[in-house]
Amino acid sequence: MTFGPAVGNVGMYVAREMLAAVPDAQRQAYLRMVEEISELKYQLGVEVARQLPRLLAEQDQDLVARYLTQVRQIAGVGWKSGVEVAKQLPDLYEAPDPALAESYVQIIADATQGPPEDTETAQLASELDGLERALREMEPKVKRAQELKALLAARDRRDEKRRKHAVELASVLPPILARLRPRYRQIFLEQVRLVAAADPEASLEAADTLLDLLNGERVSAEGASEWVARGLAVLDRNKEVGRGYFRLGSKYALEVLDELKEGLALKDVARVLKLYATALSGRDVAIRGTHQMEGLDAFGADHVVLPPDMRFFDEDEKNFIAYKVATAHGAGRIEFGTYDFSLVDISGEVDALRARYGSAA
Amino acid sequence: MAVETQRVEDFRLTKEPYYLPLGNEVELFESAYHAGLPVMLKGPTGCGKTRFVEYMSFRLSRTLVTVACHEDLTASDLVGKYTLRGDETVWQDGPLTIAVKSGGIAYLDEIVEARKDTTVVIHPLTDDRRILPLEKKGEILQAPSEFQLVISYNPGYQSVLKDLKHSTKQRFVALEFDYPPPDREEEILRNESGVDDDTAAKLVKIAEKVRNLRTHGLEEGVSTRLLVYAGQLMANGIEPVAACEATICKPITDDLEMQRSIVEIIATQF
Repeated sequence: MTFGPAVGNVGMYVAREMLAAVPDAQRQAYLRMVEEISELKYQLGVEVARQLPRLLAEQDQDLVARYLTQVRQIAGVGWKSGVEVAKQLPDLYEAPDPALAESYVQIIADATQGPPEDTETAQLASELDGLERALREMEPKVKRAQELKALLAARDRRDEKRRKHAVELASVLPPILARLRPRYRQIFLEQVRLVAAADPEASLEAADTLLDLLNGERVSAEGASEWVARGLAVLDRNKEVGRGYFRLGSKYALEVLDELKEGLALKDVARVLKLYATALSGRDVAIRGTHQMEGLDAFGADHVVLPPDMRFFDEDEKNFIAYKVATAHGAGRIEFGTYDFSLVDISGEVDALRARYGSAA
Repeated sequence: MAVETQRVEDFRLTKEPYYLPLGNEVELFESAYHAGLPVMLKGPTGCGKTRFVEYMSFRLSRTLVTVACHEDLTASDLVGKYTLRGDETVWQDGPLTIAVKSGGIAYLDEIVEARKDTTVVIHPLTDDRRILPLEKKGEILQAPSEFQLVISYNPGYQSVLKDLKHSTKQRFVALEFDYPPPDREEEILRNESGVDDDTAAKLVKIAEKVRNLRTHGLEEGVSTRLLVYAGQLMANGIEPVAACEATICKPITDDLEMQRSIVEIIATQF
């Protein structure tokens, strides 16, 4: 059995036996009626589908129309009452008094609908509508207010942190300046000021690192400026990464430093040179940079003095050879005692020579 | 080849090993041998201790049983043990027992590496009793007058945990070895590796310089053995710097800066 185009979803609530109870000529109409009533509520469709075959069997079109109208009337005010009415009405139609069904429907309609709406209820509903509308309009503003509150709290925390690091910077800068060689103080302060303006926490890292870089002559003044400028660009993109840069904790910071490095730093090869000199001379030789000689005898017998960096050549390998030659020279002097020469000993030496070779010596 | 299947005569050297005496060590050893005294050889790695024992065993016409001591070496490994063979249990002499029975020289190389309870086994052999108790067999072996016990160790790299007990040390005549003087070391290189005078002199010069680093990060200096290796590689056509790097530089240190300084020392000669 197939249903016509009007059937729609009616098959969900019309059982096979229900359809079979409907005369062939009326089946299409039956299905359409069920579909239309089920559009009000699915449960109505189910009950009407169940009752209609009984009415259709009586071949009374008016009765069917009246049934559907009354069911619709009750369903209009309450679908659950409509379902119950749809179920009871066919029995009431069979009562001897035709007015019985009419009265039943009216009673159920009134009972379902209740008394007419009073003025106070309407006012309350209206007020509620207005408030709800106002609340809906306030929602974006409340959301924005919360956002602003969170933003301001974060800024407050940041400012507090900034002030704390500024205090720390105020405390650490003087001792760093005292350790910094005077000729680098100006460039150091300029660079630290730039970093501090951007991020006081990063400036603490930068101050420490610049102290080492400048005192160790790992970069020139220009190199220090360039290194800081590149770090500020990193800091601008990401504070944490920027701070890592200024503490030389990032690969990029080291790469930039390497790029800016001029010549070969003594500290990078000092141990190799020390071992080289020690092996050559058989003495425990120390390698010292010229900047480490304060209070020490430059010609002391236990150390070779070399420049803190070697920049004669573009290639580090050649600069290392230059260091090596200077080290071998120093090691030779240590091994053979040349540094032991003293002007004080000259008169004794002359006397000894004179005694050995006569007054002509 | 298992020790048990070897004949004692397999331990006899048939060709005189090359050894250049550096002092009175040959006379001292011979004297100790004839007096039945055990000998202890002390010295850095590769300075010729083992070669000296080989030379002396040839010179004295004794078999030489060498044991490379290690921390898992047990007293049974030295003396002997019962082993299963088919359906029966048979006794198998250890290398020390073989040496004692054959009246040869037992050489315990790097004795300090062996467990302390193992080293105590040799005590009865090292005093006037000259006996070797085989506890598991219930026998006592009396060492013949030809038997000689020799041990070696390198005091340079022994730790507190690995040192000879005093009760062991004080049972031996000690012969101390060190790297040979330059002229002798050159002669050894010429003989052992076949390099010419100039190359031998350069190798010895490098060794002398590198040995200056012994208290500066190198545990030991370059051994004469490594110099011989360098000479052998060079004699086989390897370029001198490469030969020296492979034998003098890289084996003695993993410290890259130390390696670089040694390469620079090599570069002063080649």
